[in-house]
Formats: sequence, structure tokens, C-alpha cells
Amino acid sequence: MEFKLEAHRIVSISLGKIYNSRVQRGGIKLHKNLLVSLVLRSARQVYLSDPCLGGPGAGGPPQPPPAQQQQHQLPGEPAPGWGDPLPRDSSMEQDPEPAGAAPEPTALPLGLGKLPLEGSPLVTAEAVPEAPRRRVEAAERGGGGGEGAPVEGPPRARHFCCRRLGCSPHGAPRADCGCRPRPDDGLPPPPVCPRKRSASGAGGGPAGCLASGGSPVKKPRRDSEEQPGDQEEMETGNVANLITIFGSSFSGLLRKSPGGGREDEDGEEEEEPQRGPEAAEPGPMYCDKPVLRNLNPWSTAIVAF
Amino acid sequence: MKCSDKTVLGSKSDIISTVEFNHTGELLATGDKGGRVVIFQREQESKNQLHRRGEYNVYSTFQSHEPEFDYLKSLEIEEKINKIRWLPQQNAAYFLLSTNDKTVKLWKVSERDKRPEGYNLKDEDGRIRDPATITTLRVPVLRPMDLMVEATPRRVFANAHTYHINSISVNSDYETYMSADDLRINLWNFEITNQSFNIVDIKPANMEELTEVITAAEFHPLHCNTFVYSSSKGTIRLCDMRASALCDRHTKFFEEPEDPSNRSFFSEIISSISDVKFSHSGRYIMTRDYLTVKVWDLNMENRPIETYQVHDYLRSKLCSLYENDCIFDKFECVWNGSDSVIMTGSYNNFFRMFDRNTKRDVTLEASRENSKPRAILKPRKVCVGGKRRKDEISVDSLDFSKKILHTAWHPSENIIAVAATNNLYIFQDKVN
Repeated sequence: MEFKLEAHRIVSISLGKIYNSRVQRGGIKLHKNLLVSLVLRSARQVYLSDPCLGGPGAGGPPQPPPAQQQQHQLPGEPAPGWGDPLPRDSSMEQDPEPAGAAPEPTALPLGLGKLPLEGSPLVTAEAVPEAPRRRVEAAERGGGGGEGAPVEGPPRARHFCCRRLGCSPHGAPRADCGCRPRPDDGLPPPPVCPRKRSASGAGGGPAGCLASGGSPVKKPRRDSEEQPGDQEEMETGNVANLITIFGSSFSGLLRKSPGGGREDEDGEEEEEPQRGPEAAEPGPMYCDKPVLRNLNPWSTAIVAF
Repeated sequence: MKCSDKTVLGSKSDIISTVEFNHTGELLATGDKGGRVVIFQREQESKNQLHRRGEYNVYSTFQSHEPEFDYLKSLEIEEKINKIRWLPQQNAAYFLLSTNDKTVKLWKVSERDKRPEGYNLKDEDGRIRDPATITTLRVPVLRPMDLMVEATPRRVFANAHTYHINSISVNSDYETYMSADDLRINLWNFEITNQSFNIVDIKPANMEELTEVITAAEFHPLHCNTFVYSSSKGTIRLCDMRASALCDRHTKFFEEPEDPSNRSFFSEIISSISDVKFSHSGRYIMTRDYLTVKVWDLNMENRPIETYQVHDYLRSKLCSLYENDCIFDKFECVWNGSDSVIMTGSYNNFFRMFDRNTKRDVTLEASRENSKPRAILKPRKVCVGGKRRKDEISVDSLDFSKKILHTAWHPSENIIAVAATNNLYIFQDKVN
């Protein structure tokens, strides 16, 4: 339990650092962000493998947990998405999006009782973090003349709820998008980027999909955490939706200037168009402030939606 | 080693970001966060005071780099000087390389103690004279003037690095040098600024597969074909440029197996090597990671021959150090002239020296309060737990904002330069 809290705290701190690195003078420091992403991954591993609070299984991989336990599992499902291939460098700022969900689980227990069970998209959770990574890859590729994996479909998976309402895949969710945690109406996960989770054990599709740090640990973990058919239980669904929201709002928060930045190999810019509401968000978080306070700008973003 | 004869210089200036003696030790260069280079020169020992060593005084100050803006990427390029490296002296002028994140510059530092007087076409103020008023011609003569030291940029090596330059190293052939950023190392010829050879490229085709970056690189002091580079994963690769044009495949690979009992969230961070230095002999390399300094024999790749704990008491504090970013501090390490002692910095303005032969080590502090000129530095001790003795300082009382990242050792004498934030301390061995 302690480890889980510690891991959680470390995840929050890491996110703060990644976020702050965007506003640092001199541009994103590749080395530091790489190290932070490694810590993030380690913390996430611990967080997910800790059986307290219903992680996907003590010690991680192989055994499929009993169905009952699955009910109470915390998002291992979002996990493959947001943490799994922690991108470094160019996609660095994307990390906070998926990992941004991580602090939520702490907040969740408080609101657990209020939230209905949601069977909502595991896939979305995964899609979200993959998407921005892809976008940045494309940005890099555009500038770098062919470096990086080809851009794939993921942007369309970015806002699952928005997709349902017909929001544009790239752009800001519509004002009436209503991307909030809400009872899932039982829609099946939409087909998303082929490289996503369906490739259980298949190495995750095209090479670019894995987007891993190259660690051999990644595949097994990914496989074990993929439970495509699982019923969500409330935390998962809630977090998945929050990840979706985070995904969209966070990138807007991070984005400093509209347009441009296509050739940024350091990944400081994104392709997404600037979003009005997020641009007005409060300034960067500070790592030394309590986690909850750090979350406030993000919660505000959610509310704004 | 006892230290005395302390000199503190430049306390009002910016944070010092690099310190380097030249090859004779006569000059000491510092670079700072504001892009300035300050060069100190050692006084000639006067005959009157035989036992008093020459002190270092400011010789030249110039602005090496200015902040720049990359409009394409909307990035500001910091003017902070990351490294300075001297070239060996070949004539009356001194040459050094200084680099920020993106651009390396070759500076010529020369003295001028005469100036021409008696121009025909302009008067002494420099104003052009009306040719119609000139009735006679004269030959300008050189007259003595107050010594002036001027620094001029002779070469600018730009636009070769996408990532942040962390190291430069002059080849022993004195004709080429290398610059290393996070993912690539380029080889330059001093005479050619519009081209460089890429000799190492570890950028993966898919950036998402990136697992390590280059953290430091250095040429072998004697073999012009050999260099090493360290990585964020705690490994060192030695490359031979004769093997191929692109030295992606190393000749030797130095890595120590990780101790599983020390595993933590931060294992990867603390194993990242922040500095690598060849010994003067060229036989050993020294690496610095967050908690230790290691000496490696070039002939043995599987583990270092010596490991020194710099501040192991921080091992239990890694989480806090991660929070306040101290865990990312990049400490440098240096050899003394005879490769018998190594030195590196720590927190609370402490720096540590390890004698490789006697295996003794000492912790010293660079601070104004504790040392007066010609005082002998007192060894300091950090108390790890339990009862704290009178002169000890407890781990929790350490000031982590006072860090000594950059130090330098005179090439032949026991003189060290220690940069403590924005102060430079110079300590000399006590002469009896």
C-alpha cells in the first residue's frame, strides 16, 4: 500500500516536471525528460503491480486475475495506454496526458460512491495517449524529412465521447461535447488504430505502435494488462473518461503558441490547433506544491468543457 | 592535501557553469550562465616572496555567447556556457573553445601592448582627415600602451546540433575536435566551420524507442583515433575512428552490472553518468554518476577497478532529491596532474578528494565563512545518523542549493579551482 501511494506521488511529481519542462528556457531537455519518463514508468509499474487497491495483479503479469477481482481493478486498462510506451523526446509532453490520469485514482476513492459503473472505452484510454504521440511523430517527420513512424489513425480515437457526438478528431471537443464522466451507454469500444490493443501478444502491430523504450518487459506487461473484453468497473471507466478529457485539455494547456512547430524534433510543439479555453489556463504547476493543488488547473479544464 | 591561499573571485557575477585550466595552468577560464567567459592569469612569482605562490587575477572578460531565438522551433537558445576547452599554446596568443547548447566558438585571446600612432588619413581620435589638409606624410610608429587583452571570435561552428551540446573535446592532433549532444557526436576541423563529420549517431529511427542519450564525450589524450562517450544508462563506449566513418559500433563497452539490492524508482537516474574523463596517462577513465565516482581500466570492461562513494548518505533521500530536481545535477570529476588523486563536488559547498594510492578521502568545504585567506581548510564530516559529533553536520542540515558541480585541477601543481554557484574558489597547497 505504501508503495502504491509512493508510486502515485512519484507519478504526480514526474508529470509536473514534464509539464514544467515545456516552459523552461532553452527548450525541453531530452536527457532530463528521458530520466523522468523512466521514473514514471517504474512508478507506474509498481503502482499497477501492487495488489492493494486492486491492481491488475500482484507482481504483474501472467495470471489472469479472477473475474471478481477484475471488477475492482484499477485501470490496468488505461495503463497500457498511458504509460506503456512512455515516449521520450519529441512526445515527451504527451506523457502528462495519459499519465495525467494517474493522480486521479487517488481522488477517485473519494468519489467512488457517486460514480456509476461505466463500461466505457478502455480503448479510448489507450487511444488518447497514443494519439498525441503519433501526432508529434508526424510533426517530427514533417520536419525531419522522413524520420519517425508514419502517422496513423489515432487522432480520430482521441475523444471517444467527442467522436460519438461528432467532434472533429483533431480539434477541440465541442462545447456541448459533455466530456464528463457519465454512465456509459454500453457502446462497444470503437475500432481504433490497428496497432492498439487487439494485438495481444502480437507485438502490438506495426513497430511504431509499441512506442516503447525498447525494454523487453513491455510486451509481456502489455499483454497481461490487455483485457479487451473486461467489464469496466467504476474507477476504470471514470478514469478512462478523465483520461480522454485530460488528453484533450492537457495538450491545450501545454501548448504555448498556436500553429507551427512542425519540425520541432524536441517535440515542444504539437500539431493541434490552439484551443481557446485551455489557453487561458493557469500557469505551470510546481512540483513542490501538493498534488491536489496541482490538479486544480486540470480540473478547471474539465469543468470548462 | 592541505589547502590554503584561498582566493574568491567574482561573487557578484552569474552562476559559473564551467571551469578549466589551460595546459600550462597559467590561465584559468570560467564560463557562466550569462554567456560570459572570464579568464584568470596567474601572477608571476615575484622574487621578493619566494614562498608565496602566484595568485590568479582577472586577465580577460568577454561575452562569448548571447541568447538566441530559433524562430523555426520557437525555442530560446540559452547563452549559458556549457564547456570551455583550451587549445595548447602555439604562439603568443591563447585559443579556447567555448560552447553553449548549440554553437561552438573558437576564441583568440591576445595581448596588445603597443599601438600604432601617426596615421595620415585619420587623426588620433579616429576621425577621418580631409585629404586636402594633408601636406606631409609620415610613417606610423608603434608606441607602448597599457596592456590590453582582447578576445576575438575566430571561428563559429554553428548549426550542427539538433540537441543540446554537452561536451567538447580537443583531439591530440590539435587540428580537430569533437562536439557531442544528446544523440550525436560531430567531428570538426578547426579551419572549417561549414562542415562537420558525424561520427556517432544514436538517434533511433523511431524516437519513441529512445532509451539512452549521450551524456559526455572525450578524446583520448594521446591517441588521436580514440574517444569515449558515456550514456544516461551508466555505460561507456570507447570508439576507434579508424574502424569506420560512423562509430556507432563501439570498440569497447564498459558497464558494471547493477546491484539488485539497490534497486529503486530512481536507479536509472542515479546510474546516469554525468562526466567522463581520461586520466592524463590515457590508461584509465573516470566516470561520475550521482552517488559515486568510478575509475575504469581501459583494459577491463566488465567493471570499474575503483569505486568511491561521494555522498552515499543521499541514497535514502532520493525521492526528495527527485522532487527538488537535485537528482538531475550533473557533477563533474577531475584528475590531478599525476592521476593519483581524484576530486569531485557535492552539496553544501562540499567537495571530495580521493587518494587512489592511500585510499584516503577528505571532504572540504568552499565557503567564505569557513575559510579566510591562507587558512587551512578543515576536513568536514557528514553525520549519517545517531549521535552527531560537534563538528559534524547532519544530512538533513545540508544545503542542497549550494552545489559544487564544476571543479578543475592545475595540470602539474596542487592548485584547484572550485566553482560554488557564482563564486570561484582557488585553493593552493600549503607550502612549508
